[in-house]
Amino acid sequence: MKGLSVGIGLPKVKKHSWQGLMAVICVIFVFVVAVYAFFYLRHDPTLTNLDHRLQDMSLQHPLGTDQLGRDVLTRLLLGGQQTIGYSLLALIVALIIGIPFGLISGYKRGLVDRIFMRIADGFLAFPDTIVAIVLSGLLGPGIGNLVLAIVMVKWVNYARLVRSTVLSESQKDYVLIARINGLPSSEIMRKHLFPHIMGHVFVLASLDLGKIILLISAFSYIGLGAQPPVPEWGAMLNDSRPYFQSRPELMIYPGLAIMVVVLLTNMLGDYLRDHYDVKKEVQQ
Amino acid sequence: MILSIEQLSISSKEKKIIDNVSLSIREGEWYALVGQSGSGKSLLSQAIGRMLSPNLQVEGKILFKDEDLLSLSPKRMRSFRGQKLSYVFQDYQGSFTPFRTIAQHFEEYQKAHGIPDTKDQQINSMEALDSVGLDEALYNRYPFQLSGGQLQRVSIAMALLLSPDLLIADEITTALDSVSGHRILELLAKRQKETGCTILFITHDWRHVRRYGTRLAVMKEGKIVESGGKHRILDHPQHEYTKQLIQAAPRIGHDLPSGLKEVENV
Repeated sequence: MKGLSVGIGLPKVKKHSWQGLMAVICVIFVFVVAVYAFFYLRHDPTLTNLDHRLQDMSLQHPLGTDQLGRDVLTRLLLGGQQTIGYSLLALIVALIIGIPFGLISGYKRGLVDRIFMRIADGFLAFPDTIVAIVLSGLLGPGIGNLVLAIVMVKWVNYARLVRSTVLSESQKDYVLIARINGLPSSEIMRKHLFPHIMGHVFVLASLDLGKIILLISAFSYIGLGAQPPVPEWGAMLNDSRPYFQSRPELMIYPGLAIMVVVLLTNMLGDYLRDHYDVKKEVQQ
Repeated sequence: MILSIEQLSISSKEKKIIDNVSLSIREGEWYALVGQSGSGKSLLSQAIGRMLSPNLQVEGKILFKDEDLLSLSPKRMRSFRGQKLSYVFQDYQGSFTPFRTIAQHFEEYQKAHGIPDTKDQQINSMEALDSVGLDEALYNRYPFQLSGGQLQRVSIAMALLLSPDLLIADEITTALDSVSGHRILELLAKRQKETGCTILFITHDWRHVRRYGTRLAVMKEGKIVESGGKHRILDHPQHEYTKQLIQAAPRIGHDLPSGLKEVENV
């Protein structure tokens, strides 16, 4: 069935690559693990037990315990939920704002486009770090505000990407025909243009996911994201910093988790980009 | 007069692309608009449906059955599009959204014009496909599964689906081979006889003008240099440019340019 390539509207170039397939499998695996964490919960991730602090690996605690006697594996799994979950949330909200914005801007053109794009330029003027720091300064630190900051910075990329694709697509005859056939604009955008842009958006989103995960971890590390005692990979890194000499593995586990997930999403993004050969499509 | 364009000018920021063009088309005729690439034919045709990009300035009047299309509200304009005037373009592949089936194209088109019932939609579409000599099996296919000639037939079927008063055919045979092109034009002529619709035929091929046209206008660099009946222009062109164009066209035999037989030994 040609379903996928037809549905997304980009030509398939490479059929399959092992790397890509591995990336897809691994990303799915990570998501499954993150969801599984809900059911795992053999320990309360926030329950401190100073009698059991800094223990080695054991059957009871497969990855040992941290400086407050909390089970590291539980915290790592729940931390993954937090990090990946909030990254996805930020990404999805950015998509929900960015895609319609870009669609309308590119399709209506003229004055609407100019106003929309100046708004977008305004948002683009602030680097993500600045926005995150300013927001947590104004609204207080917390993962919600961090997500808000990321959304504010990221949606513009999608709006611009979608707009540029729609600008070139809406000059084509099939959109002219749809318009001359008297179809309403909303219908044209939804059914004729939207599937065209999804391939491009998909690729950018999968590449962005890694960056967002890094951002959330980084800001949690410096204390602007998840607040203790909520487990989060960046925050866990920060918590275990004083014990780096005696218990390096406490830092290695979350660090490794961040690295692996970010690399995986990058691999997935590269794979999708090659798969749908976005560059070639844009050049045409 | 079904359509009269009065002193229409289209200009971008830099220059005037269409300069003070006037023409009028009578009901039921096959009006040909001739000119080389870049003369502004397509732009003029798109101005009729108000399909131009918003950065182009349009002045003048386009009277369609005594209503000025340029001053209609967007909503009223939308009800005109597809129902009273319709288009067929040169690029048959590009005329269909690649990931939607022929059926979906037909159905959403009818839905937009107040035929909500799927059964009715199907009956209408099948009739339309039948009228252009296409098999009903094509109905559920994707555009890329059809050949060029078939796609252009589907375009015509769709354009004539709601019996429009004016059909604008913008170089519809240019991208087809000559046999398919010929068939398409024969089909269009047949459908015109059956439905009585008016056709604005944009072309640069004199053979088509000679064979099917009733009246014509010649465009050059955004201006109409000459217009009138087919035989008058083809046999007695007044303007230098028209003469050049006619002479440049390939022609077999010793007929007059319009296809009339030359009377010998007079």
